[in-house]
This record gives sequence, structure tokens and C-alpha cells, in this order.
Amino acid sequence: MAQLKFIITGSPGAGKTTAITAISETPPVRTDEATTDSLASSKSETTVAMDFGELTLEGGEKVFLYGTPGQRRFEFMWKIIAQGGLGLIVLVDCTREDPLADMEMYLENFSDFIGETSVVIGVTRSDAPGAPSLDDFYNRLQDSDRLFPILDVDPREADDVSLLINALISSLEYTTT
Amino acid sequence: MSHIEIGQTGKALCRRVFDEMMSKSDAVYGILISTVDGNEVVHSFKSELSSEKLSAMLGSMLALGENIAAEAQQNNCQFVIVENGDGYILTLRLKEKLVLSVIASNEANLGILHSLSRNGAEKLASKLK
Ligand SMILES: Nc1nc2c(ncn2[C@@H]2O[C@H](COP(=O)(O)OP(=O)(O)OP(=O)(O)O)[C@@H](O)[C@H]2O)c(=O)[nH]1
Ligand SMILES: [Mg+2]
Repeated sequence: MAQLKFIITGSPGAGKTTAITAISETPPVRTDEATTDSLASSKSETTVAMDFGELTLEGGEKVFLYGTPGQRRFEFMWKIIAQGGLGLIVLVDCTREDPLADMEMYLENFSDFIGETSVVIGVTRSDAPGAPSLDDFYNRLQDSDRLFPILDVDPREADDVSLLINALISSLEYTTT
Repeated sequence: MSHIEIGQTGKALCRRVFDEMMSKSDAVYGILISTVDGNEVVHSFKSELSSEKLSAMLGSMLALGENIAAEAQQNNCQFVIVENGDGYILTLRLKEKLVLSVIASNEANLGILHSLSRNGAEKLASKLK
């Protein structure tokens, strides 16, 4: 039976751990620890190694979802986690200072990986005041001739996470046929 | 807010305990306290190592080690140990939000390392309120 390994990355607080917890059929592996620095003002725990969850698609294929830590000092984990991955979900949090720059940063961090696989962007908390529109995200990608699926999602909702996974699978099918 | 702040006096106290630990085994050449979320707090190294990078990595390792123990249905993870051709790295939780790591050459005796790390951790825990 086919097995698909997907990676979820994005800024601290974007909802990577939340998304995997929402959709995993098995108790997820979580490595969240207490925040002890400036991040503590916005969240009490942060991922320090990885998240892991699994789900089964209608056709019986297994999806293994790996979440990265968002904070840059855990960069070494990004490479380890990305190994053998088939696709990437980048979550972008619209309450942050510059969500478009965040998207660029995580696309850049995983550029080698993206060169070989597919990527989908999940925009979270898009109702935040002053949040960029989905068009703003598309335009930013188009400025350098890139076109990736972009979805407005709430990572707390399993259905929304499912949309991201399906979009990723569709774009994989598109690029491999 | 849960900032971990250890002032100069606190760091000096920790370094004194580090010295004591190192005096128990010449093989120990690095001792580091970091936070569970991977920030450096205080270290004492006899060779050039990146305390910042090690702090992040040791935080990941302790979290993974504790998770793996639980997944294998083992309780009370005491140490996560990396044993290498050139030496040992022992990592243990110190109080709730700190991590203590001891780095030693292969001349160390693992039993001694266990006891000096455990005793050092107890001493440090009592000094850090
Ligand atoms: N109101 C609201 N809250 C959200 C939304 N998306 C995520 N959250 C909350 O934001 C927080 C996200 O935290 P995590 O899932 O730990 O974030 P993370 O991306 O894993 O962060 P790091 O591990 O620190 O990199 C959770 O408390 C979610 O409930 C949203 O669309 N609306
Ligand atoms: Mg997380």
C-alpha cells in the first residue's frame, strides 16, 4: 500500500502542531516544551523536535504528516525531517508582522526540497486586521513566476487540513503525469 | 511570561558546581545548562564548541528521548545518552524547564558519568530556585 510522507512547516504559532493534532487518526507524537523566551508572550509551548501524525486516504493510502519546529534555531531539524518527503505544506500566520515575507522565508528554507516536490500554502487567521488577501499571496509568487495552490484554512479544523492534503496530492499527480 | 533569567551570580554559582563536577572526572570537557526550548543559559567548555547550536539540538534530543521512552512504554526517562567512538554525551532534565548536558571523552567511565551528572543536577536544582 502506498505511503506518502508530507511535511508541514511555517512560522512559530502558525498552527503546525494544531493541524497535525486535528487530523491525525492516531495519537500524534508531540515534542512541545515550555517557551522560555520572548515567544512566551504569545504562546506557552513550542515544538522543539517534530510533530508526527498519520491518516488514511479513501483509496487506502497512508499519509504520514511530519511537522517541523517553527523557530530558526531548530533549523537542523528541518533537513532531517524533509528527508524522503513527497510534498510540503507551508502555513502562514496573518497576525504576524509581514506574512508575505514569512511565506518567502519558508519557501526559501525548503527551496531544495521544493525543487523536487510539490508545495501548498495554507493561510491562517486571514481575518486579522490588515491581513494580506489571497491575491496578494498569489501576486507575490507570480512576481517570480511561481504558481502554488494557496488556501485559506483554520488548522484547528480537520476538514481544512484535509483540503491542504488533497491539494498537495492533486498537484503531485499533476506534476508526475 | 516565563522568561528564564539567571543573573551573573546564578551563573557563577552554576560554574562553581560545573568545576566540582569536572574535578571528579578529567574526561569531562563540557557542561551546559540550556532551556527545554533550546536556549543557552550557562556553559563551561574546555574546547571550542557552539553552545548555541548544542542548546537547540540537546533540547530536541531530550524531547525525542522522552517521547521514545514513553512510546516504548518505559517511564521516568532519566538520561538521554549518546555514546560515540570519541566519548559520551549525557543529557537530563534539570527542574522543570532546564536541561543539563555533560560531554566527556571516551576515557570516562559511564557509571561515574551517571553519578556525577545526577549529583550535579541535584546540587544545581537546589541552587536555582
Ligand atoms: N483564532 C484562531 N486561532 C488559531 C487559528 N489557527 C491556529 N490558531 C491557534 O494558534 C495556536 C497555534 O499553535 P501551534 O499549533 O502550537 O503552532 P505551531 O505552528 O506548531 O508553532 P511552533 O511549534 O511554535 O513553531 C493554537 O493555539 C491554535 O489554536 C485560527 O485560524 N484562528
Ligand atoms: Mg508546533
